[in-house]
Amino acid sequence: MGRNSEIKGFSATRYGQTLDLFESHASRLPVLLELLASPWVMRASEIVCRDASPTPKCVAEDVVVEWDPDRGCPRAFVRAGRRFRIDAVLQSWSSERAWWDPRRHVSRRYWRVLARGGVYDLAFDRTSSTWRLVGIHD
Amino acid sequence: MSTRFVHLHTHSNFSFMDGACPLVELVERAAELEMPALALTDHQGMTGAVRFYRACKDAGIAPIIGCEIVVESAGVLGEETDLPLESRLTVPASVGFGRAAASGFHLTLLARDFAGYRNLCRLLSRTHLRGPEVPSIVALKDLERFSEGLIALSGCANGEAALAIAHARPGRARSALLRLASCFEPGAFFVELVHPLTAEGPRIVGGLVEAADDLGLPVVATNDVHYLRAADHRLHDVLASAGARMALPGPHDRPNAELWFKPATEMRRLFAGCERACDATLEIASMCMGFELPLGRFHFPGAELPSGESAYSVLAKESWRGLESRYRPMPPEALRRLQHELALIDQMGFAEYFLVVKEIVDFARRKGIRCSGRGSAGDSIVSFALGITDADPIEHGLLFERFLNPERRQMPDIDVDFDSARRDEVIDFIYRRFGHEHVAMVATVQTTTARSAVRIAARAFGLPITEVNALSRHLPWVSARKIREVLETYPECRGHPLREPRYAKILEIAERLDRTPTHLGTHLGGFIITRDPVASWTPLQWAAKGVVVSQYDKDDVEALGLVKMDILGLRMHSAISTAVELARARVGQGAVPEPFELPKDDPRVYEMIAAADTVGMFQLESSGQRNLSTRLKPSRFEDIVAQISLFRPGPLEAEMITPFIRRRHGIEPVSVPHEGMREVLADSYGVIVYQEQVLLVAREVAGFSLAEADSLRRAMTKDRSREQMERIRAHFLEKALARGVDAQVAAEVFRQLEGFAAYGFNKAHAACFAVVSYASAWLRTYYPAEFACAILNHEPMGFYTPRLIVNDARRHGIEILAPHVNESAAEHTVVHEGTAIRIGLKDLYAMTGRLVDAITREQAVRPFRDLADFLRRTRAELPAAESLIRVGALDGLGITEAGRPPTRDEMLVLLPELKAVIAREGVAGDDTLCLAPGPTTAVEDPTHVSGWSLARRLSAELEIAGLSLSAHPLDLTAADLVARGVTFARDLRDTLDRTKVRVCGVRERAQTPRTRSGRRTCFLTLEDATGLLDVVVFEDVLDRTGDVIVKHRAYLIDGTLQNNPERGLAIVAEDVSPYVVRSEDGTPVRIRRGVPSGPMGPTPGGPGAPEEESWTEASTRQDLACPRSPRPS
Repeated sequence: MGRNSEIKGFSATRYGQTLDLFESHASRLPVLLELLASPWVMRASEIVCRDASPTPKCVAEDVVVEWDPDRGCPRAFVRAGRRFRIDAVLQSWSSERAWWDPRRHVSRRYWRVLARGGVYDLAFDRTSSTWRLVGIHD
Repeated sequence: MSTRFVHLHTHSNFSFMDGACPLVELVERAAELEMPALALTDHQGMTGAVRFYRACKDAGIAPIIGCEIVVESAGVLGEETDLPLESRLTVPASVGFGRAAASGFHLTLLARDFAGYRNLCRLLSRTHLRGPEVPSIVALKDLERFSEGLIALSGCANGEAALAIAHARPGRARSALLRLASCFEPGAFFVELVHPLTAEGPRIVGGLVEAADDLGLPVVATNDVHYLRAADHRLHDVLASAGARMALPGPHDRPNAELWFKPATEMRRLFAGCERACDATLEIASMCMGFELPLGRFHFPGAELPSGESAYSVLAKESWRGLESRYRPMPPEALRRLQHELALIDQMGFAEYFLVVKEIVDFARRKGIRCSGRGSAGDSIVSFALGITDADPIEHGLLFERFLNPERRQMPDIDVDFDSARRDEVIDFIYRRFGHEHVAMVATVQTTTARSAVRIAARAFGLPITEVNALSRHLPWVSARKIREVLETYPECRGHPLREPRYAKILEIAERLDRTPTHLGTHLGGFIITRDPVASWTPLQWAAKGVVVSQYDKDDVEALGLVKMDILGLRMHSAISTAVELARARVGQGAVPEPFELPKDDPRVYEMIAAADTVGMFQLESSGQRNLSTRLKPSRFEDIVAQISLFRPGPLEAEMITPFIRRRHGIEPVSVPHEGMREVLADSYGVIVYQEQVLLVAREVAGFSLAEADSLRRAMTKDRSREQMERIRAHFLEKALARGVDAQVAAEVFRQLEGFAAYGFNKAHAACFAVVSYASAWLRTYYPAEFACAILNHEPMGFYTPRLIVNDARRHGIEILAPHVNESAAEHTVVHEGTAIRIGLKDLYAMTGRLVDAITREQAVRPFRDLADFLRRTRAELPAAESLIRVGALDGLGITEAGRPPTRDEMLVLLPELKAVIAREGVAGDDTLCLAPGPTTAVEDPTHVSGWSLARRLSAELEIAGLSLSAHPLDLTAADLVARGVTFARDLRDTLDRTKVRVCGVRERAQTPRTRSGRRTCFLTLEDATGLLDVVVFEDVLDRTGDVIVKHRAYLIDGTLQNNPERGLAIVAEDVSPYVVRSEDGTPVRIRRGVPSGPMGPTPGGPGAPEEESWTEASTRQDLACPRSPRPS
């Protein structure tokens, strides 16, 4: 029995699956499903940032993103001079709010990705055509 | 693996305020994306279905007709509201579903074949027609009953299964899916997956896939499309907000804008883990491939036929019988013509249609309901013989082929006008005769114009209603896409608030809302009559006016080959009938002939028309027609036909009038390029005016048959390319040359045909109208009081306001008597042996039907003696009593301590007190007016029984009756006008051509018709105390003065008089300045009908106030206050 045998022994239902997440493309879907079904994962973009003391999970940094035109999603991003290769896109969603009010207008497309060091939320801001890192999950 | 995709859940803008895809653009986009098929699934209806079907066929795409319905709960027993609160699924309220919103769950239905289409129509009709107030929620048992030929998708995010998954109730989702699937044929139910790129989306999709797999149901991907491109979500948000009467973000408040028409690659990327859902769209499309709407076939309702007879044999017999009564002696040409027409009608299979129309017309005639056919049906001698039309096709040279072209088998269209006051009797007959299940009214699709688009956008942006009004008011009636253009170029829009930068977004949205359907209306008189129940052809619903209406408009109904009959109400028929009744009541039954049967040769009638004294005459009264009357000088019936035809947009644009007039008066010779044209164009002096003449010229010059010639005319009329026109030209020249016509002559003839074919008017239509015109002209000539009274009783009708009709009658020596509680009836009446008109009570402001009945009933008992007597016996409501006092209907009643009747001020002061006494005790003192009047203002005019000045009386009359009864408003300022050097209308005729004149008038109409040059010209019809003034404002002057014309009601106009036989009588304006009508004390007089809000009159600038005030800042409005009555103390 290995170190992760208990985890590996989970059935691939919505309540659990194997941990061999990054060995192949085929293993990504269960990861995605697991993450989606996990209430403990929060979308960083929804976490309220307090200007004085930003929560560790919520950031707002400009990043450079390498785009994969074939798959229509990010391939890697560069943060603070370090390149993060994206291993899996876990989820994607978009947001379009208050277009009639320039002060409140939000128009973004988000990607939650698995990359070195954790789960990251990348956002492409359609109004300014810029990429931002908006969340980091452990 | 396929890379294709078909959108099966698509809302066009026929989802009414919940869809922003224009149909044509939707189909074009699908073709551009190489989609093999496309479904249309609008909310609860199929209004766009037929035009969608045709557009898809044209684009080479397989059309799938469907709709999105609201269905009752399937996953629980009983009602959703029976469940405990925590177990209920809450459906987000949405627009587009009327009362059904938030009351059930969405389900998408698609017609697999024609049986499915008919079931869809039946299902929708049954659901909508349960009752006008009942929400249109489909019952599961109906779904089972009408499921044959239908494919169902389980619904979007508001479907029961998707909602159950969203609420973490997978069990409920499964039972709902099972129950819904059991309603349909095996393999015809799919679980619908929508992935709107929200955080919740994958979870719901996953849950639905899992449920579908457990139940063995197939899944299918859709995108619940509501707009064409991602950026169009703004339009959708605005429409949905306005539709739900909310401010943005509106009822949906969606987190993003992903419900757009995504290409196949996008859709397949969204469902990357579930390709079979995308593949299923192609499977469903192939299941629906065989669907064909049977367009191009005709479906007639059953005519009543004696046994052993066919429709044709009955029609032939009736026609021959009718012909004998129409012609004595019978001209051989009529016999030949009838034979020819009957043969063609038989060949085209339209006999039954004629018989159905005849049945309806016969009913009207039996009941004495005046009616007349109009339009190209007048080209047929069969219509004439059957009594459907009244213009003799032989006498007027009308051609059957213009009505029914054997080369183009189109549904004949016979329009019949009925006396509008009795049209309901005809409609009632139709329902009784054909059965309620076989008759429905035709819908009209109401679309946005500039004003409504601005209102929609402004309301969605949450602006207060006053600001919304300010933005939309004073915009011209143009299409929304032209708003920016008119704001920049139209002088009347100078200073319009919409030009301000802060409204830029509203302006941008409004422009894009151009011609967006907003709701279904009801056609004025179009009825569908079918042999099968109507609901198997078209979905039905209740219209706001309480009738059952088809969801299709007239073009769709025609495309489906259903019989549409226009049962139109013509108020002129009502006015003629009433005038004849009034005249016969005065001079005797036998003394007034039936005006439709008169010989049309009375010189007095033509003199009156030629003098442009035509106010009230059918089709001859407009300013343009009056101008034409003076130029044309009609002297025979054929001239009236020409006059009606010439003053139409087409002939006007083609400038046919000038050569016609010049040739008629011998100013230029009649010339035709080919001798064969001389005879056929003899009536119009060589000018091609009528469409029928195009046919005859083509026959005479190039040897076309009449049917071929009509096809040629239609081809030339439609928008066509240069190449198409060249082909038509070559064909014409070839045939003409073959007949030995000189090439140059043939080319010239074609040039004329090309120039006029698109502009010519249907002579049959004009001839049918001319019969009514002559009848109205004859009545106006011989019974002017009865005629004016009849028109007033049937208003609104015609070109002019009732105020002008009254003024015109007064100018013709007819006395106008103010309404009075002891003298007036409900309607206006003719009194004093035809020399006076007594204004009736029913149109006075604040009058109720009950009060009118009470007054007329009590009149029969004994006259009212005073105000108290009147109030006691009629129990008049306070606002109505106040109106009656202010308009003078109680003048002269009662006696005061001063030994005279009370003034209006005194009565107004007493009124609340008397009402209070009556309410308390039931009786107001004695029968005499004994209560002491309170303090009032001084009597303004002791010579008049009312005590009011003329200005104040006039002001009250305009506000309460909408009429100037005591005098014309400009009579108040006659001295001022003379001092300003104004020429009056009655003197213009004797003023020399090209004289510089100054005139003053109150605006009656302002028109800016289309001109060939594209330049704007405004035709103003003004009225002064002596008559009508026709003013032409050309573009350069309009640029300077357009805002004055729009913002004011009375003007001083400096210009040059045009007074010559060739151009007629008009003033060409050089300057237009506002003129404020003031009473002697300098107070402005309101000259627009107002809505009084009490003894103080309307609020300045508020509803009912004159236009000047709507443009005036609140601070300056006080200056325009009208003469006021004192407030009761």
